[in-house]
Amino acid sequence: MPGADRGSPQPSDIVVTGLGAVTPFGWGVNSFWEGARLGVTAIGPFDRFDASRHRTHLAAQVPDGDIGGAPLRHLSLADRFAVASAREAVAAADLDLESCRERTGVFFGSSAGGMLEGEWFFEAHLRRGTRHAKRGLVASQQFNGPGDAVARAVGVGGQVETISSACASAAMAIGNALHALRRGDVDVALAGGSDALCQLTYAGFNALRSVDEAPSRPFRKDRLGLSLGEGAGVLVLESLAHATRRGARPIAVLAGEASTCDAHHMTAPHPDGSGASSAIRLALADAGISADDVDFVNAHGTGTPLNDAAEAAALKAVFGDRLRSIPVTSTKALIGHLLGSAGAVEAVATVLGLARREVHPMPDTGTRDPELGLDLVLGSPRVLPRVFCAISTSLAFGGANAVLVFTRSEPA
Amino acid sequence: MKRPVAAITGLGVIGAHGIGRAPLEEALLAGRPLASEVDRSTGYHESDSSRLGALVPKLDVSRWLPPVEARRLSVPSRFAVVAARMALEDAGLTSFDGRRVTVVLSTAFGALLFTEKLVRQILEEGPEAAQPFYFSECVANAAAARVAIALGARGANVTITEREAGPLLAVARGAQEVREGRADIAIAGSADELTGLLHALLDRFRSTARARRGGAEAARPFDAARNGVLAGEGAAVVVIEREDEARARGARVLTRVAATGAAFDSTAPVSDWGRGHEALARALRGALAREGRSIGTVDRIVSGASGARGGDRLESATLVAAWEGSSLPPVLTPKAVVGEFGGGLLAAAVLAACGAPFGRPVACETQDPELAVAPHDGSPLPAPHRLLITSLAAGGAAAWALLERP
Repeated sequence: MPGADRGSPQPSDIVVTGLGAVTPFGWGVNSFWEGARLGVTAIGPFDRFDASRHRTHLAAQVPDGDIGGAPLRHLSLADRFAVASAREAVAAADLDLESCRERTGVFFGSSAGGMLEGEWFFEAHLRRGTRHAKRGLVASQQFNGPGDAVARAVGVGGQVETISSACASAAMAIGNALHALRRGDVDVALAGGSDALCQLTYAGFNALRSVDEAPSRPFRKDRLGLSLGEGAGVLVLESLAHATRRGARPIAVLAGEASTCDAHHMTAPHPDGSGASSAIRLALADAGISADDVDFVNAHGTGTPLNDAAEAAALKAVFGDRLRSIPVTSTKALIGHLLGSAGAVEAVATVLGLARREVHPMPDTGTRDPELGLDLVLGSPRVLPRVFCAISTSLAFGGANAVLVFTRSEPA
Repeated sequence: MKRPVAAITGLGVIGAHGIGRAPLEEALLAGRPLASEVDRSTGYHESDSSRLGALVPKLDVSRWLPPVEARRLSVPSRFAVVAARMALEDAGLTSFDGRRVTVVLSTAFGALLFTEKLVRQILEEGPEAAQPFYFSECVANAAAARVAIALGARGANVTITEREAGPLLAVARGAQEVREGRADIAIAGSADELTGLLHALLDRFRSTARARRGGAEAARPFDAARNGVLAGEGAAVVVIEREDEARARGARVLTRVAATGAAFDSTAPVSDWGRGHEALARALRGALAREGRSIGTVDRIVSGASGARGGDRLESATLVAAWEGSSLPPVLTPKAVVGEFGGGLLAAAVLAACGAPFGRPVACETQDPELAVAPHDGSPLPAPHRLLITSLAAGGAAAWALLERP
């Protein structure tokens, strides 16, 4: 077997012991995975705000739900997604925070924070004057709102850090959590991201002509752009030794990460995908895993013509001709582009794919782009009985690239 | 094997003091707030609002950022590119492998002016009026991306948004990238702008200092009369390298990043400070201990105290708890001069580590009797051996960095 040892993880390896998610399929990991397995998109008409004057009219909106646990003040919608996901992940990990509060950190990604509520504040200011714009609307407007809300809600005392590197935010946050755990800065990390739909991002991507009028069709020949979505994802991370001591069962191993930058353009990727391919190679090196050992790819896969072409070029550069036999999926085809939290929910999807030995599909719509040379998972889940390793890619505005490498926590 | 030492070899800074280190040193020695009138004509302010901010004056930055390049950038992006190029020049770095250069910047609120303009377009003129230029520059990571494009930095490009704790988290991340071998050079720092809207919002949260009983409107760290911050803007960027590699190329080492740490006070409300000083003190001591340092060897503190009632109270209590009853070393409070923006704190701390003298903050007259900490009185001090920078953010985040004389 080429590449890494496919045996059991080592005590110092960083493992995933809990997952949480709020997605357009519903509140909770089970809702997400059941929806993802069906391969039917959640992208459709929405009412988070009045989209009638926008160029496009579809998005993937989270249905109404409850954050569970004690109520909290001044929560933006993105904060609510984040807190619900974190509480679910902590419960799934059977984590007693009383025993490790000061050694637990939160590493979060968010691109817009509470911008939705910021827009309500601004609208009230414009229409009725500043005295009628309630300041509580912007109390948690900052980018760090969701991560801080999680830290406050579950009561952590370790490092709390929000990364706002556009669409790579959450993947970078999870990567930073990996390093913090390896260094021993914290014993447990709640890592993930959260973002909510808002007019600024919806109008902004439309202004860039990056949004498809139909649900996005990543890597298809007729792709015309992305679809926006909202939601959150959280992973509980700790060393295998720490998990074993408290009797927790690992779901997967977070084996490596890397970030790079194209340093090319604010909104367009480098067409040869060199920044992304460099990030994939560095992440695999960080994990000590050969490209030959990667069994599937949860791609960034936005559905924009340029991004998908650059990403396919990056994958081709790393995997060569073997790319044609590596299953590739894009969670964004199902729940839209979650921006700063995309990397978190896609990490959840990658972990579940490894744990359950199947890759979720994309809707079987549109014609494959033969020039990209990808083995797309379409229509129904792809069962991988001997799956060991998967990567999740996040490629952002400003050329920021982040790649996470996960492996199974039990021998394939 | 001995771990590599992360060293700061360059500093670039732009702020209310102007451009570069020399005018900032002069301002810190004078101890006077760098305050000027904020534009309150935008309609966001209440009639009795605070009036002042530490605003960047009109400056000729063309040496660092040609006008044709500046036109495409938001204000924080301009600040960041100017500071980054200045820092590289200060470090004497003229060529490098861009693949091994990482950029880690923090921002509290991002490019607010462009964000405001874009939201106005959407709400007033309709979403079809939204300009793509504003959108691409109003993402939080625009400044870091612009720095990467300007310098050809193709390593990790990270934007940290943890309010007041962000700049020290950025320095920590930059030092880690270098120490752990993922980068040869880290460009780390902070960039923020102060708009009329932000100033008015801070004022509505009663965060900004106000004039009282005929007195001046000023930030008064640890003072009995403190009643808020002097909101500020600008950028500070440091160049971080391995010390052995910096010396091998003949570079001057300004200071070492000997330890960093972070924690969270979950007793804090969303927009204020909490009372979790005991836990924060334990976290601070633990962070130093992990790098083999003890709190007793710290001989200077550059405090993030800003004149906020709750923030300074927590800062004081945390320092007292961390020192466990022992006398504190001299405490410098640069936010009394440069205002509340993280880059100013970072730049002032690097200068202090290099031995720059600080004057008494002139606005601070009466120490708060409830606090055990007072700003240094301005008397001459020897250059420090170990300098602790502290930054406690509203909302709960906390970060520290220990700078050490090479």
